[in-house]
Amino acid sequence: MRIQDRHKCYFFILPAFLLLVSILGFPAIAAILQSFNLVWVSKPSFSLSSYGRLFNDIEFLTSLINTFIFVSTTVSFHLLIGLGVALLLNMEMKRRHFFRVIAILPWTVPDVIGGLIWKFIFDTLPGFVNGVLIRGRFLAEPIDFLGTPLLAFLCFIFAEVWRGYPFVMLILLAGLQAIPRHQYEAGAIDGASTIQSFLYITLPNLKYMVVIAVILDTIWECRLFGMVYSMTGGGPGYSSQVLSLLTYKHYFQFFNTSYAASIAVVLAVFMLIISIPYLRMTMRREV
Amino acid sequence: MLKRTYWVCLIVMVFSVSLIGTVVKAQEVKISYSDWQLAQDIWGRSLREAIAEFERLNPGIKVEDEPVALAQRDVKFTTAIRAGAGPDVFALDVNPVKQYIKEGWVKDLTPFIEKEGGQQWLSDFYPRSLMPVTEDNKIYGIPKNIVAMVMVYNSQLFKEAGIKSLPKNWKEYREVCKKLTKATKPKGPVDQWGVAFVLAKACFDLRFSVVLRGFGGDFLAPDWKHSALNTPEAKEAFNYVVELILKDKVMPPGVTQVDCNEARRLLAFKKTAMKIGTMWSITEVSGMNPDLRGWEVLEMFPIPQKEGVKSKIRSTLYQKSIFMNPNTKHPEAAWKLIKFLTDKKQMEKWFIDNNMLSCRKSVNNTYGPILQSKYASIVTKEIENAAFLPLIPQWPECLETFRQNLQAAIAKQKTADQALTDAHNQIEAILTRK
Amino acid sequence: MLQRQRTFWICICMALIVMGVFNLLPFYWMLSSSFKTEAEVASYPATLIPKLWTIGAYSKIWFQEKFVYYFLNSLIVSMSTATFSSLVGAFAAYGFSRFRFKGKTLTMTLFLASQMIPGVLLVGPYFKMLSLVGLYNTLLGLILSQITITLPFSIWMLKGYIDTVPTEIDQAAMVDGASRTRTFLMVVLPGILPGLVATVIFAFLLSWGDLLWALCLISAKSKQTLTLGITQLVGEFRTEWSTIMAATVIATMVPATLYLLLQNFLIKGFTESAVKG
Repeated sequence: MRIQDRHKCYFFILPAFLLLVSILGFPAIAAILQSFNLVWVSKPSFSLSSYGRLFNDIEFLTSLINTFIFVSTTVSFHLLIGLGVALLLNMEMKRRHFFRVIAILPWTVPDVIGGLIWKFIFDTLPGFVNGVLIRGRFLAEPIDFLGTPLLAFLCFIFAEVWRGYPFVMLILLAGLQAIPRHQYEAGAIDGASTIQSFLYITLPNLKYMVVIAVILDTIWECRLFGMVYSMTGGGPGYSSQVLSLLTYKHYFQFFNTSYAASIAVVLAVFMLIISIPYLRMTMRREV
Repeated sequence: MLKRTYWVCLIVMVFSVSLIGTVVKAQEVKISYSDWQLAQDIWGRSLREAIAEFERLNPGIKVEDEPVALAQRDVKFTTAIRAGAGPDVFALDVNPVKQYIKEGWVKDLTPFIEKEGGQQWLSDFYPRSLMPVTEDNKIYGIPKNIVAMVMVYNSQLFKEAGIKSLPKNWKEYREVCKKLTKATKPKGPVDQWGVAFVLAKACFDLRFSVVLRGFGGDFLAPDWKHSALNTPEAKEAFNYVVELILKDKVMPPGVTQVDCNEARRLLAFKKTAMKIGTMWSITEVSGMNPDLRGWEVLEMFPIPQKEGVKSKIRSTLYQKSIFMNPNTKHPEAAWKLIKFLTDKKQMEKWFIDNNMLSCRKSVNNTYGPILQSKYASIVTKEIENAAFLPLIPQWPECLETFRQNLQAAIAKQKTADQALTDAHNQIEAILTRK
Repeated sequence: MLQRQRTFWICICMALIVMGVFNLLPFYWMLSSSFKTEAEVASYPATLIPKLWTIGAYSKIWFQEKFVYYFLNSLIVSMSTATFSSLVGAFAAYGFSRFRFKGKTLTMTLFLASQMIPGVLLVGPYFKMLSLVGLYNTLLGLILSQITITLPFSIWMLKGYIDTVPTEIDQAAMVDGASRTRTFLMVVLPGILPGLVATVIFAFLLSWGDLLWALCLISAKSKQTLTLGITQLVGEFRTEWSTIMAATVIATMVPATLYLLLQNFLIKGFTESAVKG
């Protein structure tokens, strides 16, 4: 019996689908139920009180704003730097493999350890930055980077920009490599300048990979808390607190499981809202 | 052909991976012991020697040691125990114990104790030690070590600064700090400070609390149901610390990120002259920097107390206790291990290896090396002047709220008074919530 | 004309140098710290070049901390995760890209939405499930759980790349008598090799740098991963900075080498198969 071609799609998708549903399905539902105080607690009873508490919690509200600022800034910089470096590394030049390996190095550092290292770099007394500033006689006294609220947040953003941009760069580089050479050749024949070929050949071809990169990077930056956990712990005060770290704290340090779950649900909704316009962009392509 | 190779590779991979993951079933009883101190150099070695001795005395029981980093300990334990697994025997400090008891993550050990002789067997432990591990007259853990926090100082730096007498109250303490804060190289920048308090999350609880108590105040009221941060004593203590940092500048810059490891390192490398510490500080600080000659120059004095303060309590207790997993399949073997690790001989070994006091009265009062140690004599006496931090499930959250407000005050986001009032109100909200 | 080309290449060179310095400065710090004694690591102000060079940190890792085991465990877990999720993901991405069927948008969105639940909440239920099937404390269990994180991302990435290969190519191959599967494996997949490499590296690094799952799903010391081992160097009493730095330096060499190898493999494969006209 020959399977019709259009039914073959199930053959392709089934392994992934089964794997995800069987392993991820139950935990995902359990996670949501947790926020309603229904599972995983010693005395289950349906309640929305966790959600109610959220809006009186200054730390939660600050984290919400911080998360928004952090994610939008970081992803924007990732895109800018990532695109720039991808363009750079797509060029024909000697040793470009060597440079490509250098380009992904920041991303090879796991986030918790990256946080430790950047904490050390920005540390007030034995830190690298202060070491350079003082030995170079730019300053007489060290700057307390991680103890000043605004600076701590900025340093955290900087560190995450450093660490995460190769992700976007890699996606875009692969996308650039997929652009057929003949389009550029045709453009050159027509007399297009570098900038014109970038705007009219490169960007349109790259459009959907950019959108995908933005969606994935946004989700990724919303989820991560390893960097901020090691670098500032959310402090000083709550100036660098983000929702993912807050969830972790409430779940594992204060043992407020349903409160933590409700924060996580808010974060998930937050991520959905941000990514919907981009999702629609990719889905529209299907037609 | 490609497809076939793919499937073959996949199957080989899965097969070899599952082989690696297979647990070899042994004939003997196997139990696991998890402790964050297994991950340390000296402490881990000491524990492994103890475990080897236990296995020698109990053929047929094998103990697998599972180290875990302190910061990750509760994440690992609670995830496992919630799901019905986890290490058979494990150690905890006092902080999360009440939460573990409340959630049913530790086994009730009273039946085992009854078999050993009940109250008589327990009488060797300090009654104070049994308090954190007891709930509703049921005992959930056996105490191992207890220490009180004191002020550890570098006597050499004190001599160099011309300090003749040890500060007994906070006014004198401030003067001493100021004298010790200076530039060690002529015309150089200030690179030595009086003290560094721990203000980062790790180990904040033990250190800051002694300042509050030294002023006669505390975090919570004695019944642990309300915040005591609105008392004049708490206010004075809070403002005192903020001023020490911002006005007198006797602490190194960046002190808000100093955690206990950093504080030890600062003392070890002579960047500070004092720290709030206890018995282990001597071992660790000396080990960090052999040039310091820590065992010679490090001394201790009790936490200063404000003049006129009537309360006896001026310091905080730290305790490590051993617990049994309610999911364990070998409770008898697990109990044997707990009993072994907390018996007299092991306590004595623990002091020799790690300079830690025991929870057994008989050991602290009669063991030769303890009686001869200049540090032990001070700390043992201070145990009487110290109390545990509040032993309630909400305590971690209350403490973190306080710490965040303190950091905000030092970062000048709020005034000290505003920060303290906020902390008080937030803690009240947490306590009345549950 | 030549002058403009020269200034162009000088700008490119400068951009490369800036990128290199930006990326490598923290690594320089890591390297120099890994060769310092603990005393010098703590010095104020920091020394930029070690005054006293020592390889104590590296020998400690090699002999004392049993990092070799952690290294091998990480390698096995990350390679398995990367390979498996990329292969299964590629199949699924092809299905999503080439076919239209009911519920496609919903399935793709659900796959993505599943990643919006933070790992913190998922670890507990995962643990329970894995221990029910006896996969707790096994590398296989860890691999399976990590795959569920890398898979949705891989599918989205790969679909994007497969979308850039025109369907005419598929048609041409099938007209020539190739089955769907053959078309996919022999024609489409080679056409997205850079994208495939990117996806494999992505999945590898996700697994390599994971901490939470390795912490909760593995209890035996012998089965720990490298990242977990490094974080354990932050102890209750001491933070061994030079050892942490040394271990991290070694840890980053693996994905870098992998990327280099994959790229070389890619170049050979790319120039050999003339897919793009």
